[in-house]
Amino acid sequence: MGSKFDGKCSKMIGVLSGALAVFWATSCNQPAKIERPEVIVAPVPVDALQVEFASGEFGANIIETMAGDIATVNPLVNESAAGSLVIGRILDSLTTLDTNTGEVIPNLAKSWEISADNLQYTFYLRKGVHWSDGHPFTADDVLFTWSTFFAKKIDSLTGAVACDANGQPQYRYNSRSTFGQRINGREPQLEKIDDHTVRFTTPEVYAPFLLFGGGVELLPRHILNSAFEDGTLMDQWSVETAINQPWQIVGLNMFVLESYRPGERMVFAKNPNYWKVNPAGQRLPYVNRVITKIVQDVNSSNVAFAQGLTDFESIAPDNVAWVKRGQARFDYQVLDLGPSNSTNFLWFNLNPGQNEQGQPYVAAHKLEWFADARFRQAISYGINRPGIIRGVYFDRADILHGYVSPKRKFWYNPAVRKYDYLPQRSRSLFLEMGFEYRDGRLFDTQSRPVTFSLMTNSNNGLRVEMATVFKENMASLGIQVDLQFLDFNTIVSKISAAYEYEACMLGLGGGAPDPYAGKDILMTGGRMHFWNPQQLKPATAWEARIDELMRKIGRHTDVALRKSYFFEVQSILAEQQPLIFLVSPKDYTGFSNRWHNIAATPLGGVRWNTESLWAEPNK
Amino acid sequence: MIAFILRRLLTLIPLLLGITMLVFILMSLAPGDFLTPVKAQRDVPQELIQAIEIEFGLDQPWYVQYYKWLGNVLQGNLGHSWAYKLPVADLIGQRLWTTFLLSLCAFVFSWVIAIPLGVLAAVYKDSIFDRIVAALAYTALSIPEFFLALVLVFFAAQTGWFPLGGATSLDYEFMGLWAQLLDRAHHLILPTVALGIGSIASIMRIMRANFLDTIAAEFVTTARAKGLGEASVMFKHVLRNAINPLISSFGFAFSGLLSGALMVEIVLQYPGLGQLMYQSILREDQFVVLASVMMGCFMLVLGNLLADILLARSDPRIRLEGKR
Repeated sequence: MGSKFDGKCSKMIGVLSGALAVFWATSCNQPAKIERPEVIVAPVPVDALQVEFASGEFGANIIETMAGDIATVNPLVNESAAGSLVIGRILDSLTTLDTNTGEVIPNLAKSWEISADNLQYTFYLRKGVHWSDGHPFTADDVLFTWSTFFAKKIDSLTGAVACDANGQPQYRYNSRSTFGQRINGREPQLEKIDDHTVRFTTPEVYAPFLLFGGGVELLPRHILNSAFEDGTLMDQWSVETAINQPWQIVGLNMFVLESYRPGERMVFAKNPNYWKVNPAGQRLPYVNRVITKIVQDVNSSNVAFAQGLTDFESIAPDNVAWVKRGQARFDYQVLDLGPSNSTNFLWFNLNPGQNEQGQPYVAAHKLEWFADARFRQAISYGINRPGIIRGVYFDRADILHGYVSPKRKFWYNPAVRKYDYLPQRSRSLFLEMGFEYRDGRLFDTQSRPVTFSLMTNSNNGLRVEMATVFKENMASLGIQVDLQFLDFNTIVSKISAAYEYEACMLGLGGGAPDPYAGKDILMTGGRMHFWNPQQLKPATAWEARIDELMRKIGRHTDVALRKSYFFEVQSILAEQQPLIFLVSPKDYTGFSNRWHNIAATPLGGVRWNTESLWAEPNK
Repeated sequence: MIAFILRRLLTLIPLLLGITMLVFILMSLAPGDFLTPVKAQRDVPQELIQAIEIEFGLDQPWYVQYYKWLGNVLQGNLGHSWAYKLPVADLIGQRLWTTFLLSLCAFVFSWVIAIPLGVLAAVYKDSIFDRIVAALAYTALSIPEFFLALVLVFFAAQTGWFPLGGATSLDYEFMGLWAQLLDRAHHLILPTVALGIGSIASIMRIMRANFLDTIAAEFVTTARAKGLGEASVMFKHVLRNAINPLISSFGFAFSGLLSGALMVEIVLQYPGLGQLMYQSILREDQFVVLASVMMGCFMLVLGNLLADILLARSDPRIRLEGKR
């Protein structure tokens, strides 16, 4: 019996190991099977952009880490920060933002004209620019990109445009841009004037168009048109493409994807057809490759930098202290870029509605407190923000007085009402409301103790600590706060659908630099009008005033006027405190001292001029 | 035999139905859905969220979603990942072999070490060697995999002898074939150890117990009586008989080949299926989660089936029948 079994067994092992060998061989050789096409290098464009940074040496590689993996390289599909970073390296746009001043400046459009009625935008494209695969870039690519947003779904039976239940036409490819680029529900029109000129017509005066419309990442028509036609556009440029045919992902920015291993690493090579040159007329960038190791979170990314393994890194405020310790040993430095775009705030639920069982979202007497601006102001005076900065952030944050982070210098109104830590002021405001203190506890006009619950997401350690400080601050005002640390998804469904909560602490980061980008937060009916979302009409006079001002900000192109409107919005928010702002952490960036042409800007950090960065080539 | 295999495979159908339905129910009970993180971003238009909800069928109750999914699966379509916009099968295929390689290494590592150790512990029963091995085994059994992985990460960071996570080095792309193989092997060591240690201990204890049982059997006495050398008795007669129960545990080990490395992959940042599954669960990327669960279930049934067949082959006393 034994020998029989042995025979079978060894045969089986043989088959298994044979299969394994084949498996190994096929897996290893996969990328080599598909031929990488020869890239045509076109001559330097006539309209090449000459950068001002001193010429340097070509050939160095950037080594870096990225926290989190990509799910796609398709800009129409992507929702992750890692994906945006990768796509932003490959694709480019007509206009961009000056990271020093925050102004819109030419990019692939060398210039533009705006008609006298502020409805028509004519963009003049740089001539002689080629896609990374050597195919010429023309107005058709711009038209193609926009047609992917607004192409309508065709009913296969009738051949007519398919409509939804409300009679609105349905779109073929639902992307962020499909709805985000519409102006009050209407699409901008565009036409090709010649190969290097396109004209956009907006349905109404729309101030942020230059930034929002001009900032669209352009897609190559010659690569994606067939997928657009056959309906598979959203499936293009998936991670499968990135793994097996990275050269299919063609762009106009300074890098192309050379290889991708999911969960491990991406390698970017320089785009041989890039359209920026150095003062000597040589094509940029100086960098040969960017090798990006994918790590799971910001902490492991920071650790890699602190061990001198990577060239550039943005450092979380709570990691700065220990990252700085390696500066001399590994020859890097850590720069303080000042306040970041991130804001932390809390708000009270002012939603007067009720759930399906007829229960009010917020108990009537509590809603009455929350709806009184004096109550919200009193809470704001009672928060020890300097204490949060010292105790939670170890001085690596700034007090946030209003809706706009001081990072956006241009739009930041420094003259809003400020809420210093004045517990005495809080108490007098409560007394003014008719509340009273008994044995240090605060009671409302009906002798009910003042108490509420505050929820925040449990996976953000800093926010959990902030909530704890807040609870202590409120305790010294005689208010009992019950903290609820919840899963992020639970919080989102509570604030956007269930509405059953009393107060919430959250944060926002990033966002487009135009004030109109905040319309979903600030305007009545906005999806993220946190304190009372999706109202049909403004509940208060001040909300109505904010709506009016925001509409004007959308419709006026005069910068000074827009600024004055936005300043008023900020003043109203500071006065009414529907969102009680807390602190804004600082931005820190680290870089290896081997790099030259570093010119840090508040909006762009040290990587905004990557094309001009150079170092002695790696061995 | 064929009837037996068919019967086993048929039981898979209600099993898969039940498990996938359970996953659907659990996922619909969990707070939020795939679109929740999108909803938390400030510049996502409301219309887009609605359009995608309809496109993905997220506006439907779970049983409608389940019904539709089931219909697709019956036509051989496991669905598209929402996050990756790729067929789920392709997505799993991308990472399959990385995990398979790790599991196989851990499997070989644990069996190659455990069986001789178990045999030696049995042969030298109650010796100091047996005691030490037993103590080590209990220690190994009591350390959870993820904790061992954490300790190994710390070890790697302190000594610098091993890479901190990943399956290949940064310059892998630019290495020769042999350097690539060596690089992969270097990256496999820590995950293999983390994954293998626990099973070494358990396999070794089973092996030792079986071996001791078999030593006491009458045919062993016969073998000794007919004058066979002690080595021949132990390795030809006892070992072959003692190894049978291990074939059943082989079935379980097989089922873990593709899904057992989740914890270790996450802690040691090894880019395999475990990470994909974990991310999909966090994202609530429904169809990827379902496919992973189905795969795990299928492998379990297949592993047990394989073990039964092997057992029948190796031990003529066992019969596999379609009906009892």
